[in-house]
Amino acid sequence: MKRILCLYLILSTYLWASDQVPAAPQTSPILIKNGILHTVSHGVLDGFDLLFEQGLITGIEKDIAPSSETEVIDARGKHVYPGLIAGTSALGLVEISAVRATLDYDEVGDITPEVRANVSYNPDSESIPVTRSNGVLFVNVAPRGGLIPGQSSLMMMDGWTWEDATFQHPTAMHINWPEMSLDLNPESEIPVSEQEENRRQRLRALDDLIDQARRYEISQRGEPTRLAHDLRMEAMIPYVNGKRPFFIHAQENRQIEAAVRWAQRQGVKIALVGGGDAGQLSALLKENQIPVIVEGTLKLPSRRNSNYSESYDLPARLYAAGVDFCISTDGSGFAAAQVRDLPNHAAMAAAFGLPLELALRSITLSAAEILGVGDRIGSLDVGKEASLFIASGDILEITSLVEQAYIHGTKTDMSDRHKSLYKKYQEKYRQLDRVEGK
Amino acid sequence: MKQPILLVILATVLSGQTGPPTDLMEVNPRVFVLQNAIVHAEPEQSISHASILIRDGLIEEVGTRINIPDDAVIIDMNGNHIYAGFIDAWVDLDPKDIQSSPRSHWIDVVHPEWVASDSYTHNDSTVKEWRELGFTQLHVGFNKGIFRGQSSLIDLDKAASITSSAVSQVLDFYTRPRGEDGYPEALLGTIAVMRQTLYDAEWYEKAVEIYSRHPNKNEQPEADLALATLSDARSQRTPFLFRTTHETAAQRAIDIAKEFDLKLWLIGSGYEYRRLPEITEAKPFIILPLNFPGKPDITPPYRADQYTTEQLKHWDMAPDNPQKLVNSGAEIALTSHGLEDLKQFRINLSLAIERGLSESAALAALTTTPAKHFGLDKTHGKIKSGYQANFVVVRGSYFDASNPVQSVWVRGNRYDVDLNSDLEFDGSWDFSLEKMQGKLTLSASPSQTSGNIKLDTTTITLNHLKLDGTRISWTADLPHSQKPGMIRFHGSWNKDILSGLAIYPDGQEHEWQASGHTARTVKAETSKASPSNLKVSFPEGAFGFQELPRQPASLFINDATVWTSSPQGIVKNCDLLIQKGKIKKIGQNLTPPKGAEVIEANGKHITPGLIDAHSHTAGASINEGSQSVTSEVRIQDVLDPDDISIYRELAGGLTTIQVLHGSANTIGGQNSVIKLRWGSDAHGLIMQQAPKGLKFALGENVKQSNWGDDNVTRYPQTRMGVEQVLRDAFIRAQDYKINMENYSKRPLWRKTLIPPRRDLELDPLVEVLEGSCRVHVHSYRQDEILMMLRVAEDFGFTVTNMEHVLEGYKVADEMARHGAGATTFSDWWAYKFEVYDAIPYNAVLMQKAGVLVSFKSDSDELARRLNLEAAKGIKYGGMTEIEAMNTVTINPAKQLKIDKWVGSLEEGKDADFVVWSHHPLSTQAVCEQTWVDGRPYFSLEKNAELLAQDKQIRLDIIQKILNTKDGDRPGPSPDPENHKYQRAYRDDQAWEGGAR
Repeated sequence: MKRILCLYLILSTYLWASDQVPAAPQTSPILIKNGILHTVSHGVLDGFDLLFEQGLITGIEKDIAPSSETEVIDARGKHVYPGLIAGTSALGLVEISAVRATLDYDEVGDITPEVRANVSYNPDSESIPVTRSNGVLFVNVAPRGGLIPGQSSLMMMDGWTWEDATFQHPTAMHINWPEMSLDLNPESEIPVSEQEENRRQRLRALDDLIDQARRYEISQRGEPTRLAHDLRMEAMIPYVNGKRPFFIHAQENRQIEAAVRWAQRQGVKIALVGGGDAGQLSALLKENQIPVIVEGTLKLPSRRNSNYSESYDLPARLYAAGVDFCISTDGSGFAAAQVRDLPNHAAMAAAFGLPLELALRSITLSAAEILGVGDRIGSLDVGKEASLFIASGDILEITSLVEQAYIHGTKTDMSDRHKSLYKKYQEKYRQLDRVEGK
Repeated sequence: MKQPILLVILATVLSGQTGPPTDLMEVNPRVFVLQNAIVHAEPEQSISHASILIRDGLIEEVGTRINIPDDAVIIDMNGNHIYAGFIDAWVDLDPKDIQSSPRSHWIDVVHPEWVASDSYTHNDSTVKEWRELGFTQLHVGFNKGIFRGQSSLIDLDKAASITSSAVSQVLDFYTRPRGEDGYPEALLGTIAVMRQTLYDAEWYEKAVEIYSRHPNKNEQPEADLALATLSDARSQRTPFLFRTTHETAAQRAIDIAKEFDLKLWLIGSGYEYRRLPEITEAKPFIILPLNFPGKPDITPPYRADQYTTEQLKHWDMAPDNPQKLVNSGAEIALTSHGLEDLKQFRINLSLAIERGLSESAALAALTTTPAKHFGLDKTHGKIKSGYQANFVVVRGSYFDASNPVQSVWVRGNRYDVDLNSDLEFDGSWDFSLEKMQGKLTLSASPSQTSGNIKLDTTTITLNHLKLDGTRISWTADLPHSQKPGMIRFHGSWNKDILSGLAIYPDGQEHEWQASGHTARTVKAETSKASPSNLKVSFPEGAFGFQELPRQPASLFINDATVWTSSPQGIVKNCDLLIQKGKIKKIGQNLTPPKGAEVIEANGKHITPGLIDAHSHTAGASINEGSQSVTSEVRIQDVLDPDDISIYRELAGGLTTIQVLHGSANTIGGQNSVIKLRWGSDAHGLIMQQAPKGLKFALGENVKQSNWGDDNVTRYPQTRMGVEQVLRDAFIRAQDYKINMENYSKRPLWRKTLIPPRRDLELDPLVEVLEGSCRVHVHSYRQDEILMMLRVAEDFGFTVTNMEHVLEGYKVADEMARHGAGATTFSDWWAYKFEVYDAIPYNAVLMQKAGVLVSFKSDSDELARRLNLEAAKGIKYGGMTEIEAMNTVTINPAKQLKIDKWVGSLEEGKDADFVVWSHHPLSTQAVCEQTWVDGRPYFSLEKNAELLAQDKQIRLDIIQKILNTKDGDRPGPSPDPENHKYQRAYRDDQAWEGGAR
């Protein structure tokens, strides 16, 4: 009896005291049998098998025969999804938003294009296992603050180091579009004319920066008479050349309109992040093929006279207008710990008019496409990353549970801080019950 | 026929002079007869061709036939209008040169003893502006603090004579500017200070009285100027004047006046029309500014979007406010207060008159009404024998803003405002010079003069035209045979004829003449403004109701899946019969009574209206964080019924919420449980049956841990100190309770000893000790949770609810044993250090340990989808569907002790329910209808209708604005951002407090 108890204690201690362990690379094939496959790219395949090897999906068919070394998982009645993707977040750059020492997302300076998110991504953040516990396996981690906060990186929710966890870097250069609305309050400290002047200056600074980067690139070609490197300009080159996109954070209609016109004028590639008023400018966005990363649907309306469902039905309105979009959680430090609610944001969009399959696409393939990795993740297709998960039910329902996730084919540790503490305190009450003889 | 006026030179006022003459005695007879005037003796009575006899500052006689005494100076008023001197019923004054006294009140913004007239001195330029508006008296008061001292009546004579120095006690819902420390800091505290100070004044009066009788048995009460002044004011029935900036503030003032039986005056806001019956019912005397908003800048469409609908509507409706008040029986006086440019006063007054305010009502509001309330109805406000000789002389009706005020008279002395002559050069004249004959046309407005001469077909413009008294001069290039050039004309008015000399370029002089004056016919301003065709909605702005939702006598819901949150569980194919706002019957296969309204609900799900046990929606002020114990403040005092979040939450199926004080201090303030009766006023929101509750807070917020390095001195800064603050407060409450009881039990003490002072801070703590006030404790960490339970146990009370309580799962057994409930976030964590151990399994662990658990929002956003928060109870730890639904219905109802009326669908309970499109724990569930008290407050159809209505109203107003002339109604635009409606804070971020 004593021995059993000891063993029990050792085992259970292991269960709750251990941190989550990153998985080893996939060595043998894994076959998920008879699942309900939400492929995203070609509908739902009920009762199909999915095989993946060395991190990539190698087969989606009915009745795949496993080889001898293949691990077989029976997924009858279970739902299989590609890993969910959050388009913008501060995850890993912040641990506790009220504790300054844990904040790593806002570098000093208004214009810091040189900084890159992945190097300060903390792979041991407690938020990461919590996030993947709900099926979010990719997060585009972005710096914040200032006019140009820096470059974002698409991170996988597992890995020993930030280098292991980096799926794609960089994904975009972020710009916080200048505030365009004016404070018309007569008691405002800054007169309207001065505000307008400030606005012009801030917009001018953006144009100047692009010009400067272009001149810099020219100056670096050939054999410069004198070497002089500028980290900020170096960082800008692929973006001003249109090779990579700017992600422009803009909510209000004036900001959106100005950002689109700016992109046209400068001939650069952009996507919008936020886009609260994007529904009002959908024709402009469609015409210019500018995608929108909707920063959450679980948000208050922007104006007092906005419809209560303004944020809920924004995706449906963008869809109806033919604008490309994906749904993310918001990029604030506070929200970094809540990326796990990503499917709920998409589900709300579905409740308010977005077709269900598009709600799922908006947090998988659409996000991958906007992040420039649509050929590698975002759907269950042969040749794509085996970053996927098995759920007990429809992932757009809160009550469904993610049972097992795989990232690049590796079996992910599904415990997290919350589950560990849950187990620990279940044990407390078990002990109490035993003492009280229940 | 008009005559030049006699120039009367008035020397210094001598009447009442007490000092010796500095050189020679000056005698200045002050007997006048003003003849040939239209005298507006009273608002409803005007006399043409009337005369007024004035002697030594008083009116002796008024009428068409008066005896002119020999010593009178006769002044011809040339048909001008004479009104009784106007009273500007409010003028702000800076408290200057006021010495602070050691006997002042301990709160630096409480100064009822101040007297406005002590600080008043004339400023020549503003005196001139007031006189130009016809004012002869000012009602002045200070502009600083909560209790602002006593207002005074100052005359606009040379000496700034004081008619009355203590007219009213002035109060303001003042809050300190951001960054200024001190108690109180928020509207919550401001109102508590008003109430406590008024109670203190009552106590002080008694204390002084008992001391005077029993000086050997009592310590002499500490002298307090503030309390002494206030107790006098109350016993003399001095009016209490509250300054208001919006209609809700007026209602707050009315509440205080009722509580203390005060004679209520208000300085109006201009928004009274939005809650007209509620305000006029209390019969306050209202001092009304004419601060109509300027034209919103709506030409750039995106900029137009920045204005809320209520701002746009207010632009159109504000000028109707005076008329609406008067028509609903309110007594008003007008003031120039609130206008950036005083000249706007008459323009806005004319506009108010065009919108339907009668001229006699306007005149009364400038004369008799203020005179009556200021206690001057026997001496001021009328032109009547025995009254003060205070007049306004206007060249025409005062209510045509283009007629200038010629002079004002104060105490029988004349002050010229406009020295231009009364002569009307305006019009056309037959002109002749030598052989030339033509028409001379003159147009002379106060700002500009112009003219021309028409000879046959040519019209020659007059240059350098100048009118000065009876004299006129100009130059013109008339055709003449002499040397070419300008002819200079000058001349004067003499008996209907203008005549003088024309000096030719070569120096020759010829006589010119103009006669046969025909007055210019003034082109009537045709576009008379009619009252706004807009209707007030409740609340004002988008999504407000024109009429409150009706309550069907009988409502039948047919064939729904009903989540009862009662022992009945989920009943399929269930019917509900609702009568008079209550659930009459619930069950399968019921028959609808005749005439019942039927909702066909096949395929729909019905749940009880959701309940949010922790909210800050509808709180205009959240934290009085200046002190560690502020249990005296009450959310009910600061409810904002216009908060759009109320409507948005209804759209998510919420019907009842507990509005809590914030968590800035250990003992915050008293809560308010409200039903989301969108459209009602603050009183109507309150759920009267709910017992009292008090907010406590522990941990980082209370310790100011996340407030930056400047906030390290307020006690407590540790959880150790938090405990001691709690114990100290409850020990004080125990002592207070015993002292009060002992005093009331002993008749001899009551006769001879000064009573203990009523303390609004300790009253609710005593109620906690007695068990009649619920205890809600913001808490996170297990140590502080346990500490709170132990403190409560030591003092013999039970903690009703732990709020947030994110580590409740660690001590759930202790909570269950104590009997504390828990209302928690479903899955928030990691936003500050004390929530790093927060887990979404918290609710389930607590529930399994026997704690009554609910999910709450603490957020205007989250509150719109509590059904989905409930679903997380299933996800994290496996609650059953019924258990999950209970966490947002019957459980919070029990926690708030309102489960007798709400929280489940049971016979006899309030008909608060939601119709859902799907299974209510599914993300696909859309709230289709929300009913409160058997009234439909939200439905998808009604929402679409309100949305379309709002769009139309905005378009209409924008067109109306575009169709007004530039320069019409200039003035400041309203605050276009209206941040009031964009709050979305969490308790944890709500430490800024502040007021609307």
